[in-house]
Amino acid sequence: MESPAPTASRRPLSYAAVFLVLAVITGIELGVKGLGLPRAATNVLFLLLSLGKASLVAAFYMHLRRDNRIYTAVFVLPVILFVVFALATIVI
Amino acid sequence: MGYQEAAHEDTFRAGRALGLNHLKLGMWLFLGSEVMFFGGLIAAFLHYKVNNPTPETGLLDVGLVGLNTFVLLASSLTVVSALAAIERGDTAAMNLYLLVTIGLGTAFLGGQGYEFVSLYRDGLTLSSSVFGSSFFTLTGFHGMHVLVGVLWALSTFVRGMGGAYSRNDHLGVEVFGLYWHFVDVVWIVLFTVIYLI
Amino acid sequence: MRSLVSRLRQPAPSWLRYFRWNTDHKVIGVQYLVTSFFFFLVGGALAMVVRTELLQPGVDVLNGTQYNRVMTNHGSLMIFLWVIPVLAGFGNYFVPLMIGARDMAFPRMNALSYWLIPPGGLLMIASFFIGAAESGWTAYVPLSIRAPDGQTLWALSVIVLGTSSILGAINFVTTIITMRAEGMTMWRMPLFVWGILATAIITLTATPVLAAGLILVAFDRLVGTQFFAVAGGGNPVLWQNLFWFYSHPAVYIMILPGMGIISEVFPVFSRKPIFGYRMIALSSLAIAVLGMTVWAHHMFTSGMDPRQRIPFMVSSMVIAVPTGVKIFSWLATIWNGKLRFTTPMLFAMGFISQFLIGGLTGIFLAAIPVDLHVHDTYFVVAHLHFVLFGGSVSAIYAGLYYWYPKITGRMYDERVGQAHFWMNFVGMGLTYLPMFLAGLLGMPRRVADYDPMFLVPNQLASFGGFLLGISVLPFLYNAVISLLHGKPAGANPWRGLTMEWQTSSPPPDHNFDEPPVVSHGPYDYGEGHLVSPEAVPASAAGE
Repeated sequence: MESPAPTASRRPLSYAAVFLVLAVITGIELGVKGLGLPRAATNVLFLLLSLGKASLVAAFYMHLRRDNRIYTAVFVLPVILFVVFALATIVI
Repeated sequence: MGYQEAAHEDTFRAGRALGLNHLKLGMWLFLGSEVMFFGGLIAAFLHYKVNNPTPETGLLDVGLVGLNTFVLLASSLTVVSALAAIERGDTAAMNLYLLVTIGLGTAFLGGQGYEFVSLYRDGLTLSSSVFGSSFFTLTGFHGMHVLVGVLWALSTFVRGMGGAYSRNDHLGVEVFGLYWHFVDVVWIVLFTVIYLI
Repeated sequence: MRSLVSRLRQPAPSWLRYFRWNTDHKVIGVQYLVTSFFFFLVGGALAMVVRTELLQPGVDVLNGTQYNRVMTNHGSLMIFLWVIPVLAGFGNYFVPLMIGARDMAFPRMNALSYWLIPPGGLLMIASFFIGAAESGWTAYVPLSIRAPDGQTLWALSVIVLGTSSILGAINFVTTIITMRAEGMTMWRMPLFVWGILATAIITLTATPVLAAGLILVAFDRLVGTQFFAVAGGGNPVLWQNLFWFYSHPAVYIMILPGMGIISEVFPVFSRKPIFGYRMIALSSLAIAVLGMTVWAHHMFTSGMDPRQRIPFMVSSMVIAVPTGVKIFSWLATIWNGKLRFTTPMLFAMGFISQFLIGGLTGIFLAAIPVDLHVHDTYFVVAHLHFVLFGGSVSAIYAGLYYWYPKITGRMYDERVGQAHFWMNFVGMGLTYLPMFLAGLLGMPRRVADYDPMFLVPNQLASFGGFLLGISVLPFLYNAVISLLHGKPAGANPWRGLTMEWQTSSPPPDHNFDEPPVVSHGPYDYGEGHLVSPEAVPASAAGE
């Protein structure tokens, strides 16, 4: 039905690997925050890193990577719309 | 005899042909709407963060909340591990992972509660300023979603202990997982937008 | 034959089921239709009060505060408790039938969606007793923050109704994607189903933002947050931004299912295939997407970020294109058709002319220099009533007449229906055309008093308004009397090809005796072998 034979991305070890990456990224974020570097640069870094973390959770833990692309579209399209709305709202 | 007695599987023929499960699709559609709900709150928060900068931001304890972030990320690991366990047919492991998830979720809520109380003591409240209003509303609604998740995890655990799930029938665990991970994704965004940038 | 036999085995379903929790989409559909029509009557009564006040200049019938409460609740009831839910009601009843499904994807959530409507409605009406909402349906801050307690009930009511909408939208999308019958590809779905699909997509993405905004207003009112308190650093324009991000797409929520109904009615009563099926389907999706990018055209005079004004003007004009595609496709559909001027057909034709006026004046309003002069004048009131009353409500009436035989098993009285149409059509013109003039001359909206120079358009509008009020009576009479004494309709009085007509009127509980298998498109008129075996061989109704 919906569950194909186990693939690499569904072994417990790779979930733990994803968690490790998430933890390391969070560690980097906290470290960089503590350094007090110029905000314009760190802001871009933080946004990109958080986009990376969110994508990892969505792709591997929510299984978007292995599942039908329609689920991905259902999730990603509102995200794009939200970004447009947030940008408009910030300067409105 | 009549259509009402036909096999239930026929009902979702079109979905199966597309490779979609109706319960999963329903949950993803709900999560899409939740993106927009949090989106509205985040947009309001960002509007004030950018246009009304305030030194009150300095009251936030990034380290403590960073720790809380690790806790929530770990809970996503335990949730997906619970799903992986039941996909193997390992009900005992699934139940254990769900129990740990409940613990981690509760710990996260505890951390949030502690943070809220400290901030109130420092004078930052829902009504003290625009920053206070937008901060507590945004994190408060996220916290409410975590609470719902913890209750759902508890319900899934209880049903799991009662033998509701098996290797061939565990859609409920997967759908619960989608909700939980979504709440984690929202936190990833909130942590960045509130505490980091 | 089969369904008759199986129905003889079971006792006739009790009418009481309409007052109880029931998960059958047809019962829920009727619940929605009847409940929302009730709120239409309440909103209409409030409109009669408005037009009575405005018959003469001077604050004579109501005081200013009372007037504000009446006009606020008129708009709010019409939008949130009439047009949006009645179209959901049609969707509930007919989407499963039209795609050959047995019910919606989530029948219990479907029942929940309906049962959120009465409490939502009661909350809004209850507000009258504790100091009603008085800030207009747009609830601009700071007035909505300072307004009396009824405004809080109003906000809660809209949150409840929005929740109902969102749950319904999840149901519609899932049903349409996963429950189509064998052979029913997306490109063989009736256009009403496409309309509901596009509407559900908008509902899912726009409504939650309104919920967020309403929560901020409720918090400012109840727990002292500073979101919109200028003294505390709050920004009133932020509310407008959050509100209109939903409320502009809301107008597409209110029109797309109606346009779907028009797309059903025209082919049947022209005995011709619809012109441009794929373009109409795609234009619905295009309107859904583009409709999310135009909202700030309601804010041109608000002091919004000036750099964003022209982009919003451009997007607001672009959205006329997919709409125009539909209008031309409908005209091409009826062109050279074998036309039957039944009541649904009359309302569909009235829809074209009235929606056209509304839509064109919308483009005028999209032009910033024009809007700067006519924003918040009666020009806007005229525009919105042409699209919502002349447009949406015409389509709703077309649907009510078209599908009345299917839902009740009875034919309505055609002559009474025609009388209703003409009273409605004349009333529309008399009421709202003068308002364009009043607006251009400078009459502001939402006022109980006005300069005597606006007397004539207001008198005309009030007389037209009273005519519109009376015009509901033949409809109500027809609906009730036909239910009791109408001619039995049979399965397919209109000889339609869409699937709801291929089962009995009303359909059996399980909709179809056998799971349908689809082998042709929904509008392939003129191909003799496709006529339903249950079609009446003698002249169809209306010929």
